[in-house]
Amino acid sequence: MIEIKNLTKVFRDKIAVDDLSLVIRPGVVTGFLGPNGAGKTTTMKMILGLTKPTRGEVRIDGQSYKDLKNPLTRIGALIDGDAVNPAYTAKQHLELIATASGISLERVEEILKKTGLEKARDKAIGEFSLGMKQRLGIAAALIGDPQTVILDEPFNGLDVNGIQWLRNLTRELAERGKAVLVSSRLMSEIQAIAERIIVLARGKLIADMTIEEMANKSLSTYVKVRSENNRQLKSLLEREGALVQSAGKEGLHVHKFDMEKIGVMAKENNIAIYELTRVQPTLEELFVELTEGKADYVSRVES
Amino acid sequence: MINLINAEFKKIFFLKSSRIYLLILIVLSLILGLIFSLTTNVTQGRAITELSPMDVLSANMLGVDLANIMLIVFTAISIAKEFSTKLINISLVITPDRKKFFFARLITYFLLSLVISIILVILSYLASQLILTANNIPVLSLKDNKVRQFISGVMIMPAFYTIITVAAVLLFNSGAGAITFSLAIMALPALIKMFSSSIQRVLLPVFPQSAIHSLAGVVKKGSAEAMGITAGVFVLLAWIIICSILANLKFQNQDI
Repeated sequence: MIEIKNLTKVFRDKIAVDDLSLVIRPGVVTGFLGPNGAGKTTTMKMILGLTKPTRGEVRIDGQSYKDLKNPLTRIGALIDGDAVNPAYTAKQHLELIATASGISLERVEEILKKTGLEKARDKAIGEFSLGMKQRLGIAAALIGDPQTVILDEPFNGLDVNGIQWLRNLTRELAERGKAVLVSSRLMSEIQAIAERIIVLARGKLIADMTIEEMANKSLSTYVKVRSENNRQLKSLLEREGALVQSAGKEGLHVHKFDMEKIGVMAKENNIAIYELTRVQPTLEELFVELTEGKADYVSRVES
Repeated sequence: MINLINAEFKKIFFLKSSRIYLLILIVLSLILGLIFSLTTNVTQGRAITELSPMDVLSANMLGVDLANIMLIVFTAISIAKEFSTKLINISLVITPDRKKFFFARLITYFLLSLVISIILVILSYLASQLILTANNIPVLSLKDNKVRQFISGVMIMPAFYTIITVAAVLLFNSGAGAITFSLAIMALPALIKMFSSSIQRVLLPVFPQSAIHSLAGVVKKGSAEAMGITAGVFVLLAWIIICSILANLKFQNQDI
């Protein structure tokens, strides 16, 4: 388990991470989201001891990363798929990592096979596509069979087959009890694999909850109701504290109110219900709602 | 630590370019030594037969100077490349103890340069013996203290400058900076020799060249470079310790 307490990183002119506290739990895939410059990579680098926190600390099972005896068996990370010497072959790259960490060379062959790089093992990394480099980075992260896996933008450059493989891989890792932290700009992919979402914006923690919890708190989540008497139903619901919007032919949009309760209320008042649908925003919509006005870099369409 | 050193050696020898470079380094250095010893007519204005056996040996050993410069360049570029390719991210994730990582690297390059130095010194010594025999000059004996001291002093030089270069790459965060630093330390004594002897007496003993010359026994008595073996060892160790401490301090606090 990774515990982050009051983690802060201040660069010369910018607070990259601002008093961040969270826990990354085992057995779960956690999506790590945030606009560009939100502090995701800096946080990951601080977990791995690559960047020194200005304040706060990161504990891995109670220890700092620097004090871990065999760090690759505790945390495996892909921070940058390009962090390789292009002159080495895939096998040499992994062999260097295995040798330095005292991992057997059989594991290198095993992981090459697992990541689909078996046929490219003796090819120079310089000849690799971005997707193959990502696979190699993931192979390096998994070589020590770590308890926690941190993947920064792992979907970059992967083809359809690669994306499916990575989805299954992250799920399988979580099922085996490992903590998996994945950052990605591809919201649909995070939605497909993550149970829990952490959202950062301008270095601050904006949300740390399941997608379900996030949707429940969202104003974009509503129940669409069509009934034989929308007007009467609206006033009944408003009396109970629901936020109701009339949506013309679509009927009513009821926010922050339980769907079952609406059904029961309609039944008790003899109002026939034609449609009762829960409309939930996509993760992308939730993300936009959460980070609105909190992104450092926003592009604007010129009129 | 052994695993790390082993991995560092693999980092070097997995690369074909490194293997070729080191082979060329040995061959070129040997050739340069031979050229110097066979062209004394031109370079020293004396025929080889007029030279003492020690002069022939020291001309041959000049190739080690070239090896030294080539090793400085090799060390600086190899280490700096790990930063430019960002492979350092992975290296430090594997070994978060940066002090351990630094010393593993220092030991690796020290051993590499020492082995190359030993090979070169042995080959240069054998070449000198061949040249001496071919010119009917009495050959040198390793039983001779002077010969042994000279050979040891020459052997130390590449290993010392390689260690300084390893530290300098981290200190300056640049391969070019490290090469400049190491070469400047080598070249500055030549500049200092242009000043008055009082200035020379103050400055020259501070530089590693004086210590290496003293250890090799090639310093004339009364020269500004002259110092005992103990003082020579102390000067070299002081350079290594100070550069390592500074490099380590910088590296420990560096965000990667």
